[in-house]
Amino acid sequence: MTTKIRICGISKTYLSDNGEVPALSLTNLDVNEGEFVSIVGPSGCGKSTLLYIVGGFIAAEGEVLVDGKSIAGPGIDRGVVFQEYALFPWLTVRRNILYGLENREYSPQQREQIADRLIGVIGLKGFEHRYPRELSGGMKQRVALARTLACDPAVLLLDEPFGALDAQTREVMQDELLRIWLETRKTVLMVTHDVNEAVYLSNRICVISARPGRIVEEFTVAVDRSIGREQVMLSEAFNKVRNEVWLSVRRQAIAAETQHGFAPA
Amino acid sequence: MSIVAETGAAPLTRWAASNLRSIASIIVILGAWELAARLKFAPALFLPAMTTVIATLADLIRDGSLPLDLAVSLYRAFAGLALAMLIGVGLGIAMARSRWLRWLFDPLIALGFPSPKIAFIPIFILWFGIDSTSKILLVAFACVFQMVIATYHAASSVNRIVIWSALSLGSSRGRLMMRVILPACFPRIFAALRVAVPVALITTFTCEMVAGGGGMGATLMYAQRFFESPTVYAYIVAMLTVGLLLDSAILVLKEHFPAWRDEGSS
Amino acid sequence: MDLRLLDRHGLSGTAIVAMRVLAALRILAPIILFLLLWQSLGSFHLVDTAFLPTPVLIGRALGDLLTGHEIRDNISVTLVRAFTGLGLAIVTGAWLGVGMARSPVFRSYVSPLVGATYSLPKTALVPLLILWFGIGNTMAIVAVYLSALLPVVVHTYHGVMATPPVLVWSAEALGTSRRKLLWQIFLPHALPDIFTGIRIALGFAFVVALSAEMIASTAGIGRLIFLYGENGSYDYMFAAVVSVVLVAFIADRALLGVGTWCLRWHASAVDVEQ
Repeated sequence: MTTKIRICGISKTYLSDNGEVPALSLTNLDVNEGEFVSIVGPSGCGKSTLLYIVGGFIAAEGEVLVDGKSIAGPGIDRGVVFQEYALFPWLTVRRNILYGLENREYSPQQREQIADRLIGVIGLKGFEHRYPRELSGGMKQRVALARTLACDPAVLLLDEPFGALDAQTREVMQDELLRIWLETRKTVLMVTHDVNEAVYLSNRICVISARPGRIVEEFTVAVDRSIGREQVMLSEAFNKVRNEVWLSVRRQAIAAETQHGFAPA
Repeated sequence: MSIVAETGAAPLTRWAASNLRSIASIIVILGAWELAARLKFAPALFLPAMTTVIATLADLIRDGSLPLDLAVSLYRAFAGLALAMLIGVGLGIAMARSRWLRWLFDPLIALGFPSPKIAFIPIFILWFGIDSTSKILLVAFACVFQMVIATYHAASSVNRIVIWSALSLGSSRGRLMMRVILPACFPRIFAALRVAVPVALITTFTCEMVAGGGGMGATLMYAQRFFESPTVYAYIVAMLTVGLLLDSAILVLKEHFPAWRDEGSS
Repeated sequence: MDLRLLDRHGLSGTAIVAMRVLAALRILAPIILFLLLWQSLGSFHLVDTAFLPTPVLIGRALGDLLTGHEIRDNISVTLVRAFTGLGLAIVTGAWLGVGMARSPVFRSYVSPLVGATYSLPKTALVPLLILWFGIGNTMAIVAVYLSALLPVVVHTYHGVMATPPVLVWSAEALGTSRRKLLWQIFLPHALPDIFTGIRIALGFAFVVALSAEMIASTAGIGRLIFLYGENGSYDYMFAAVVSVVLVAFIADRALLGVGTWCLRWHASAVDVEQ
């Protein structure tokens, strides 16, 4: 198992009017190739910040190594899917998906072929000439996923990708993501606040503490997903892990609230 | 690296740095002006020295001619603006309440809004002469469209939940108008006013430049015709200052009357 | 009432045409009423037609002028001046606005100038410009340029500043270079705001072009209006004013039409009135 992503001693401090606010403190994490790792934790604990640092959008102290090399900014090797507002509204579905391909050396025919295939994969045939404003939330996230996959990045960074969707659409999208991951076996690092989602999708779950965030617990998920969603979610194995993770996150949430002076429920 | 870069400087030094640059910018331009004039880059006719202009300005203020012109122009501008507000706000609210009125006036407003009201100067001169009356009425004409549109939109978008709450608390129609709808329109009316003040000023000055009849614009044109460049520059500086002061005054008013602030604006 | 919806429901061709005509009449009716009222003021001798020519008289004068050269020639002069100044203002203004949004240093140097321009009544610069450029096209174009610049700068600036970071980050993660970011992300995102700025600038352009002509010029519709006034040909004067109003209206609508098409992807594709 090769290490795909190595996060070493990442610390991030924000400057506000009230002085320094530490968001992350000496966070370390190794992600192996082909793994699906979820990061969960209480709100405001810095999990999205960590993802943005890995993506190269935010500077921080410490180092992030991808394939052994230190990252120097955003890169096409690390595809990102944000929660919302990330599709280019002035481009059609097809153009959005083609966008990243223009930056790579493909012939025009190859680009069209890739776009066609992906539009089929996400099930939006017939919608390729629509603008994002005409799409539902679920459809938009499918396009966002396709756009990122078009460039075939080795790593997928997902920032609460289904957080803005309603519960049913969320489940459908999770199954889509699972299917795509099983096919492509990319390295995935996902941030989510939904513990069920984390357990359903990932090999490994990391729990981040309250601010200043650091990884406090890790869980390995050994669930057989080939038996279908209903069986998985009702199984003992699934619920055992889920309960442990939930408890861990809840402990962190309570710790966060006592930090702010609220009594735990 | 990405655009989200954190600067290390503390907030205070950052404020000083950015304002320092703005101040430096102004000083450089004023300095360049003075230098260019002294070095005779252009004849004194085109570019009198900044110091000469300031001196002329001081003289004009001292002998009372500038203050008099300013008073006349401001009187015309604000009288016209007041008239525009009266008619505009009244019509706007009426249109929000009456579909018939809305149907009647909509095309006229749509036609009138984009048209350059300046084109009507000769008509107003024909009807009302070259004294203050024609200018006040033209200013009112120029500003009224904005006020109607802003008031109409504000009045028609007063949240009906707010209205229903007031009605269920026993408000009569009259009180509803005065205590609920009108105050709800204040922010947008105020915003329209902020745009209308420069319009009123421009219209007044232009009218005076074209038709004479006293005021800042008329004197400005006389100075130009007799090639008194320092006076021309001095009057422009005065107009600029007045414009800045009025806009600042409006912003100060906005601070002191929170009811006039839009939700979501500072 | 969206007539396109009716289209999809399969109404017959003639029914749709009839509905379109009715809709147009509904909008035009108040104007027709207004014209009738106006006409009756003259016809029933309530007002001296020397001071307020009737629509019929004005219409006749307008017909005369349109078949002749005066209005066409003069309006073209005015339009050329207005649109040249506007065009220059759009190009430089967008560049300035982008620069101010992307570079805080640039912004702090430039913002006092921008603020000063906001408070200065632009037509007041006309006498100054006459000193420098005399009366003629250059003076008018410079005056229009200076007036049209500010709305474009301010709106471009706001449009670019409001670009959501996730949009920029997505583009960066897809391999967009810094230079391409400007053309492919910031400008498209700012386009709706830029259009609003252009629309406002168009209004300013007409006002300033006309003002410059009325104050001192050798040509242009503003000067023509004044000439007719001085000669006492009031029906021609009114006709010229009417033509200005119509041209300004059509130009504004045309711009709106172009804007709606260019911005058909925009979330608020519902047309914002005025």
